[in-house]
Amino acid sequence: MFDVETKSVTESVTEVTLDRISSPNSEVISTIQPFELISFTTPLQSDHNTDSNTCQFSNVDLQAGLTVNLCDSLSDSLFTPKEVRTLALTLGAQLPKTIGFTFPESPAWTVAKATPKEPSSSPSAYASSSSPVDDDEDVSSDLKAKPKSRPKLTRMRPPGDLVKLEDRLYYVLQPPLETLIQSAKLTFPFQPFPYQFEGVAFLFSRAAAILADEMGLGKTMQAITTIRMLLLSGELQSVLLICPKPLVTNWVREFRQWAPEVPVAVIEGDQTKRAWVWNHPQAPVKIANYELMMRDRSLLESNVTEAEDGTVNATPQLHFDLVVLDEAQRIKNRNSTTSEIVRSISRTRSWALTGTPIENSTDDLVSIFEFLSPGYLNNDMPLKAMSQASRDYILRRTKDKVLTEMPPKMFRDAELDLTSEQISTYKIAEEEGVIGLTEMGDEITIQHVFELVLRLKQICNFDPITGASCKLERLEADLEEVAASGQKAIVFSQWVDTLDKISAKLDRFSPLHYHGRIPSRQRDSVIERFKNDPKHTVILMSYGAGAVGLNLQFCHYVFLFDRWWNPAVEDQAINRAHRLGVKGTVTVSRMMAMNTIEQRIHNVLEEKRALINTLFAETGQPKSLGLTQKEIFGLFNLNLPHRNSKAA
Amino acid sequence: MPHHRLLTCFDCETNPVYNDRHRARSFINRSHLYELVITTLTRGVFLLMSDNSAEIDRGNCFGFVTVRLHPEHGYFGGLLVVNSLARPLEFHCTLPVKPSRAQSILYGPTLDDFVCGEQIARALLAKSKSKPISIFTDTSAVLSVRHFISIPIGWIETESKEHEQSVLVIPASNSNRSYRSNRVDDTVVQVPETFAEDGQIIAATWKKLAPQIDLMEPFGRITEALFEANPAAKAA
Repeated sequence: MFDVETKSVTESVTEVTLDRISSPNSEVISTIQPFELISFTTPLQSDHNTDSNTCQFSNVDLQAGLTVNLCDSLSDSLFTPKEVRTLALTLGAQLPKTIGFTFPESPAWTVAKATPKEPSSSPSAYASSSSPVDDDEDVSSDLKAKPKSRPKLTRMRPPGDLVKLEDRLYYVLQPPLETLIQSAKLTFPFQPFPYQFEGVAFLFSRAAAILADEMGLGKTMQAITTIRMLLLSGELQSVLLICPKPLVTNWVREFRQWAPEVPVAVIEGDQTKRAWVWNHPQAPVKIANYELMMRDRSLLESNVTEAEDGTVNATPQLHFDLVVLDEAQRIKNRNSTTSEIVRSISRTRSWALTGTPIENSTDDLVSIFEFLSPGYLNNDMPLKAMSQASRDYILRRTKDKVLTEMPPKMFRDAELDLTSEQISTYKIAEEEGVIGLTEMGDEITIQHVFELVLRLKQICNFDPITGASCKLERLEADLEEVAASGQKAIVFSQWVDTLDKISAKLDRFSPLHYHGRIPSRQRDSVIERFKNDPKHTVILMSYGAGAVGLNLQFCHYVFLFDRWWNPAVEDQAINRAHRLGVKGTVTVSRMMAMNTIEQRIHNVLEEKRALINTLFAETGQPKSLGLTQKEIFGLFNLNLPHRNSKAA
Repeated sequence: MPHHRLLTCFDCETNPVYNDRHRARSFINRSHLYELVITTLTRGVFLLMSDNSAEIDRGNCFGFVTVRLHPEHGYFGGLLVVNSLARPLEFHCTLPVKPSRAQSILYGPTLDDFVCGEQIARALLAKSKSKPISIFTDTSAVLSVRHFISIPIGWIETESKEHEQSVLVIPASNSNRSYRSNRVDDTVVQVPETFAEDGQIIAATWKKLAPQIDLMEPFGRITEALFEANPAAKAA
């Protein structure tokens, strides 16, 4: 029951304005706006109170008609219920307010004209049902057919730093990546993994991003595919990719594989040729190496001119829509010339690719952000705040999370006792070295300690007098097994001299060399021979040359003959073999001479590994933020000289 | 970091908007949007804006309309017009529409049909510059708009697993409408019995043009966009 209270009713009115509708408990349901039209079709049945100008309706029903429809004598109707048939009120005819956008650039996609789907050869549900309904029985059974399962779709999401609604909706309303790829008829040498599509969707919308996937997850492929799609959509016209020199050919090869239609120019040759390539507009993608940036600095710097009014204008000679840094840890020292030059390049988008955004301390990440978004992070930020601030810019996945079906890597720590010759040499060297350092007093520097560490590590590899090596004995034995099973192995050391000594003892395995003394132009052929020639069982690599960018997933054994200072570099090395495409378990043998400097360094390395895990897992503060001078001095129980402590 | 897109705001007479200064002046920014949302909630229904939009020939395109009901803020509607490659051509959304209690009582079981179809979908389609060949909806209550438009419209019943976890739900039509079903590209599309020929038209058009569109997929995009355009819905 509802009460309708009239505002004014007279004998002669032809329309009435109702003031309010109220429920029996006098609660006001709604104030009726003057423009509203409500039609009550059920006659009044209840009694009414003429004094208060209210009457009761037992039922109300809305009519879609929007014209006032009153009975001949409304006032009589209201006050004489039996004669009332209809009472109409206006209800708003206006439509809701809308916001609209259009997408003028979307058709810019370079795509083949859509062709009608080929009819299926089998009598599938689609073939029979997309035609008009003719036969009820057939249609009925057809409609009951279970639809095919829908594949997982990857949607683009706008980055957090996009604030304008239309910019955010541009990405939200794009079709899923799979649809874009299918409709643009893009082909791939093999089907990308879903997490790789997510990586492409992540990069696609970002002006600043770090793709920090663990080594071997396909950062190269994700970057190339995104560049390819952005080029096709017209969002990019010029891309500069900077990578370490040994990886240039690798990038060219990967572009040929993943984006065969995209012209790529390599910046190389003499100065004239390089200058021509830098300015060559026909190749939208240019690949340069870090070492070259110094020499071509003048070509990248802006032309500074002073106007008549005294204002200084800097016009970049070259501008890139996107600059990608591969192995971006190369700019972890923000004061280095390379870092400065890279940061000075005029660009619209900046991406960094690295499996190890933090090698030593959070300073490394801050330096990378100086390239992406200068000033966004600083060294004074607490770890948790830094983690939160950088979260939207970094995408990091690990193999154990995304490649659950990938064969595991098995660590086998070879904890070895030095040979008697090594022990005597080691003890003498350590004792004399520590005494020498102690006698230096406050004159001692970190370099002095490093020299001793390196000398002791070399003794752990080979006795300098007799050439005895507990590690080599173990390596030879293990390689026998590897060769017998028809497998291949990689041996890493930080010294080329050590690799030469190893090589001399491993002739029967036809070892190949891949390190700084091998000219760059020969390195690709070394990898090809190692991959294709079964007589080469082992390749000897230095961490510096072989730790990044190479695809050696056909190797199932990795030997770390000595340990690098940094666990991230070790991971890079291991992941040459343990990467996408690996068919079986990768066994990693980490050789460590017990009760030596190697064991002490190992303990520090484990703490560094905890740092990386902490930043990305946000699980509180790590115990240590890197290898400090105090810790290095502590390797020999030396006191820190009276200077400020600093991360090494 | 500069990130400029070439979008056109339909509320602005100038088109397309290439000039940032102009765009900053003409575009409804977020703060403005919040203001409108609040106004809508307090006033109920907006005054009708004159629709002076001119139709644009964008070739064959398809419309997808969805309406979602938020327990607090009311109804949110969105229209996405895509080309035959599923790429967006236009997007329109309504500010939240919250019927008054009187309307809820008076419309009874037909409230959803009225709000979703006659109000929201009608307003969205009136704003569209493109003329879609067919319209699809995942909200059965939207079908009532067919009385006001000449474009065939079909209802696709979703599995609703995605929506079950969302605060925005699909309003259910309680009208006693009967449907005629057709299968279009592996998807069952239902049309009102009173417009039974629409099903045949939709199916025949789809077969002829063979657009590369997953019929279920665009609704997800619209829902995401509704969240973006109405942050209050996401926050609730």
